[in-house]
Amino acid sequence: MRRYLIKNITILILLLFIISLTVFAILFVLPGDPAQIILGINATPETLANLRAELGLDQPFWVQYGHWIGGLLTGHGSRSINYDMPVYDLIVSRLAVTGPLALMAIVFAVIISIPLGIYAAQHQNRPGDLIVMGFTQLGLATPEFWLGILLILIFAVKWRLFSAGGFPGWDVSFGGSLKALLLPAFALGVIRASIITRLTRSSMLEVLREDYIRTARAKGLKERTVVYVHGLKNALIPVLTILGLQLGQLLAGAIIIENVYYLPGLGRLVFQAIGQRDLPVVREIVVFMAAAVIIVNFFVDFTYAFIDPRFRKR
Amino acid sequence: MMKKTIGLILALALMAIPVAAGADTPVRGGSMIVCQPAEPPGLDPTSNTAAAIDRVVYSNIYEGLVKVNRKGEFTPGLATGWDLSADGKVYTFHLRKGVKFHNGEVFNAEVAKWNLERAMGEKTVNAHPEFFRGIAKIETPDADTLVLTLKDVDALFIAHMAEGDAVMLPMKGYADAKSNPIGTGPFKFVKWVRGDSVTMARFDGYWNPERPYLDKVVFKFIGDASAQLAALKAGDIDVISSIAAPESAMTLSKDNRFKVTFGTSTSEVIMSTNNKVKPFDNKKVRQAMAYAIDRQTVVDLVMFGYGTPIGSHWSPGTPYYKDLTGKFPYNPEKAKALLKEAGYPDGFSATIKLPAIYSYSKRAGEVIADMLGKVGIKLKVEIVEWGQWIDRIFKKKEFELTMIGHAEPWDIGIYANPNYYFQYDSKEFQDTYAKALKAATEAQKAALFGKCQEIIADDAVNGYLFSAPALRAMKANVMGFWKNAPTIALDMTEVWRKK
Repeated sequence: MRRYLIKNITILILLLFIISLTVFAILFVLPGDPAQIILGINATPETLANLRAELGLDQPFWVQYGHWIGGLLTGHGSRSINYDMPVYDLIVSRLAVTGPLALMAIVFAVIISIPLGIYAAQHQNRPGDLIVMGFTQLGLATPEFWLGILLILIFAVKWRLFSAGGFPGWDVSFGGSLKALLLPAFALGVIRASIITRLTRSSMLEVLREDYIRTARAKGLKERTVVYVHGLKNALIPVLTILGLQLGQLLAGAIIIENVYYLPGLGRLVFQAIGQRDLPVVREIVVFMAAAVIIVNFFVDFTYAFIDPRFRKR
Repeated sequence: MMKKTIGLILALALMAIPVAAGADTPVRGGSMIVCQPAEPPGLDPTSNTAAAIDRVVYSNIYEGLVKVNRKGEFTPGLATGWDLSADGKVYTFHLRKGVKFHNGEVFNAEVAKWNLERAMGEKTVNAHPEFFRGIAKIETPDADTLVLTLKDVDALFIAHMAEGDAVMLPMKGYADAKSNPIGTGPFKFVKWVRGDSVTMARFDGYWNPERPYLDKVVFKFIGDASAQLAALKAGDIDVISSIAAPESAMTLSKDNRFKVTFGTSTSEVIMSTNNKVKPFDNKKVRQAMAYAIDRQTVVDLVMFGYGTPIGSHWSPGTPYYKDLTGKFPYNPEKAKALLKEAGYPDGFSATIKLPAIYSYSKRAGEVIADMLGKVGIKLKVEIVEWGQWIDRIFKKKEFELTMIGHAEPWDIGIYANPNYYFQYDSKEFQDTYAKALKAATEAQKAALFGKCQEIIADDAVNGYLFSAPALRAMKANVMGFWKNAPTIALDMTEVWRKK
């Protein structure tokens, strides 16, 4: 068990090192001089040189990389060039928007998709199933931003029930912040619900053909118990896996919706930072996300090993 | 009957007085939310030229010695006036008395001197140290007088002192200017919610006790065109300072809840042409292209009519403007003839690289490709990311044609630099520009800057298309918002809300 732990932690550290190096190298060779982008196209060469020196951009690759990693290891992350604040604080403040947004989107997706999926599976190839499947087809074909704008036009511009975007901040108004995330989360959730409805349906159909379901029915259990207790529990395993993946994706991939609703989220931060060559922000966020995925996987692996002894021998 | 009528007239007259006063007299108080499309990269205009910074802080939080007014004239800022010596080299600025920074520090000649020295110093990160480098000597005979002796006459000195690069920072509170700006302006900085907004509040110690009218101003950063529009219609914001999609201006102007204003700006949208690569090194080819472009149609198709065609690198809103749009009137036949003379009877193929971040640039690129196609110049359109544009086009000059708006005012000097990305090298222009910079009188300035405009128009250095509009939309009760943008700022000092 200890050897297993040591081995995996070594791999974890090595992976993080490789990722940091790759990210740094890619951004290093990325065309577009940050100093020039910051100072604009009419800046004098002298000012450009001064700014490059101030940002440490005139140093060789390894010196710059060493400086960055050294800082990270000793707990001194970089500062954002444009925002003039620690990147770590930026990430935390943006996660406070994107995290709840992603969670709410998943909640919407689940509320919509699981009942619909079960219903469709129970009514396979009957009109109800066809209607549900038709809607999911529509959902899959709908672009997020379009649905987002449509919701704004209806609920904010026409009925004035919501504001058209923006985010007041949790400390300013908890209710207001929750309300601000409702429409964008719904737009994200509906689109994802289409995928998950189809997945739930096919997973249910598969499970309902299993022998143990036939046995359950044979021993006279009510159809409701068969479907919800014996069927759903097993059918949900692949659904949960996909939900987890979707959640991860939403953390970084809600850029478009964040733009339409001008939410100060993580996706918009990365997008803007790349455009303005705020390199410290870009690389620290990429490393942060990669680390999050690796660490989560590491714990999942570890849990497998804990539960199932067969994994430990590998 | 008669009495009744008189009474009625009196009553009406009495009613009319407060109504008239209410319509025209600014009222104090209230707050306003202004949408500014781009979020500024930091809030210090002395270390970064990004227009978004000036738009948020210049004239609101920070002020310089000289200010630009609505008409584009240079008016007193922190200096109540200035005298120029007979030889045009010594400026004596009379500084405003009793000016305080938001943190309580006092503004005086000492502070002004320190600011100028900081901008021209060796370690400067001011994007334009050359604005200040012409100063040979700074003297402060007393606390309210600043005497600047220039090495040579500089016709643009006052113009440069009125730009965001020359604002005055406090000597103690300057260090965090990027995230906690402290100036002398009518509004003091309150907070910057990264990714969302900058909030500022009335500064009670402002040197002009009559201003500002508003208690609070919030600049909200919404870049997406449809999001801007929805926010205005939903009542979340009061003003869109620059409409991202000109097509929406038309529908907004028909809605009586809102008003749309269309004014001039300092930005010239040009088809930059690499004057060093074949066949664009041939003046006839460039002139042929100038004949082949129908500027008004470009404005109509790209900006839905909101824009002013230009014939040279000078905005109609800037002093000394010379209308040269008649120099190359749309004439495809003449264009073809010129191409034939230049040795391209069947035209040629070329590539135009368009920066992805500017939608006007992409639209104009497509329209121009069509127009040039009609005279035999086949353009391949390539969209490039902004960083790529800076690197490949601006620095390495790897391009034939591109499309970009030059936003800085008074920037015709870029044509005097043969290494600037379009690589125009003309002794005549360089000499004329040098002379213009040393012009002492207004008449001389007008003549020489006019000549500068004419030379580059004749040479058809770049394709001069249109001056980008200052296109704004606001609620009908927003009063006093600047219609034109003669300088890069969104000055909120005199903006008020009608009750």
